[in-house]
Amino acid sequence: MENAGKGNGRVIIQLLVLGILLLAVPVMIGGLFSRADRGCEGILFRWISGQFLLWAGFQMICVPLILKESRFGSVANLFLGYMLACMLLAAGAGVRRRAKSAESRFAFWKRGRIEKRREGLLLWAVFFALLFFQLIQAVRLSYADTDDAFYVAVSSVTESADTMYQILPYTGLATGLDIRHGLAPFPIWIAFLAKMSGMQAVMVAKLILPVVLISMAYAIFYLLGGLLFPEKGGRQALFLIFTELLVLFGNYSIYTAENFLIARSRQGKAALGSIVIPFLLYLLLLLMKRLQEGWKISPALYLLLGAGAATGCLCSTLGALLICLMIGIAGLLGAVFYKGFRELVLLAVCCLPCVCFAALYFFY
Amino acid sequence: MWEDAIALFREYAGTGLIVIWYVICLIYLWIREKRKYIRVLLLYAPVLLLLIYFNPLFAGLIYGLVGGEIYYRILWLLPMTVVIAYTSTCIYGQLAEQDKGRLRADLFALCAVGIIAVSGSFIYNSPLFSRAENRYHVPDSVVHICDAIQVPGREVMAAFPLELVPYVRQYSSTTCMPYGREMTVERWNYYNELSEAMEQEIIETEDLVSLAREAGCHFCILPEKKKTTEEPEKYGWIRILNTDGYIVYRDPAIELIIP
Repeated sequence: MENAGKGNGRVIIQLLVLGILLLAVPVMIGGLFSRADRGCEGILFRWISGQFLLWAGFQMICVPLILKESRFGSVANLFLGYMLACMLLAAGAGVRRRAKSAESRFAFWKRGRIEKRREGLLLWAVFFALLFFQLIQAVRLSYADTDDAFYVAVSSVTESADTMYQILPYTGLATGLDIRHGLAPFPIWIAFLAKMSGMQAVMVAKLILPVVLISMAYAIFYLLGGLLFPEKGGRQALFLIFTELLVLFGNYSIYTAENFLIARSRQGKAALGSIVIPFLLYLLLLLMKRLQEGWKISPALYLLLGAGAATGCLCSTLGALLICLMIGIAGLLGAVFYKGFRELVLLAVCCLPCVCFAALYFFY
Repeated sequence: MWEDAIALFREYAGTGLIVIWYVICLIYLWIREKRKYIRVLLLYAPVLLLLIYFNPLFAGLIYGLVGGEIYYRILWLLPMTVVIAYTSTCIYGQLAEQDKGRLRADLFALCAVGIIAVSGSFIYNSPLFSRAENRYHVPDSVVHICDAIQVPGREVMAAFPLELVPYVRQYSSTTCMPYGREMTVERWNYYNELSEAMEQEIIETEDLVSLAREAGCHFCILPEKKKTTEEPEKYGWIRILNTDGYIVYRDPAIELIIP
């Protein structure tokens, strides 16, 4: 009985640490981007943008150390340092902002927004019910995907053996450095969460991350809805319900990003298809909107696009190609329709992380 | 390459109904959408992307660089979900704004839900989903066996039946195996003598013991229902556990020094 009590206590502490790492820290760091554009003070935008900055940093720290065949502990320590530095910067920026305006703190709860939400109260209730259903299913159901034998095993072995991509995840036998997978170290990030929280990597990957990443995917759809339906609260809820249904009925093929989101959310490629690409779409829509309105584009928006590009590489080695293709097409169309040649060059600069990691893939 | 790209697109589209609806949505955007930035990113960009996807030169290049198996992931750049959801909501809004149009708008929303349900497939109906047996989302048998054979401070080598192989090292990184998940993927054409011996309908005990010893297995896990030509105990194996339909044998011939 006493042991069970201790076990429960330990799980609560582990969940608390994961809550801090996956929610509180990104929300705090996301404050760095609250000046990226109008409406970026919202807690969801802060959460996602903060997490993207963390992911991008993780990729930049982890890959060179993997190539140097360093210990996993070094990555964890350096990434913790990076996280703390970002938090300090965000805290500094927050103090400066507050000194300038006290109003922005409560921007998320502006009266007008609440009134708009009341319009579609029933629709919002349906949206949250469907979201809750998916999150419960993520905990309750297990999906038999044998790719987990690689990705989840990499996280487990990294955490326990303190090496990265030098042990065959399938068997546990020693091997040479696996460059192909080492350039997209999403499983190492999971190992980092496991190490910090003390929770077993398999539990972090298959129990905690699906809940967090599915929520994050819908948070991005929420942002997209806000951009597509800026004045219509009920419409935004309806848009989100349609996205939920399209995800829930997205099993018409095992290849769809929707299928990956629900069934394999702990794998980096799922995060690429259902989090990174939709968030980049959101950022590009924001950028084009501002170009159309003749606004000056904030450097923070480009920084976020660059972080998105690096995150794409963290998730999958193919991410480098997909992100370049996406930003490249958008940049070219932007140059044609808005004569935004300066933006085209800046977008090309945002793709630099992808170019570097692709070069490593082919020439290392 | 071009034929492969088309075949992958067909597989990606499933029955094709969702793609048809997506194309209808694109046509709607082309006719009705006024905001240029939305036209650019939700209409022109996907069309350009499809042209690139079906371009044999591009397909050939990507097939050459990263292989054809993951070429379909380029289709993730098509914002199908966003476009269909956006267009459906716009049509709803358009109908709702007409005189006495609320009922028609609600009817349209219901039809749209119906179309999504009919053209897609409910994800939780997939036979690959099952009730998680524990908080690790791996079979209970794997948890019980790995817990029973683990030795603090060192790794152990164990031969598992193929149905358990993909889960073992997710749960326990100190349990090593002489063969892994690669044996479960037919198209990869891997061969391992011990795995073959383990999967025989009636296991040749003498062969199995000899191959397991050759691979340095401290433990061997056999399904309870599996028939063997002789009792493994005859060759010195010790039955240490019977759990979840599996028997765990320890081979004392392979030394297991506890640090």
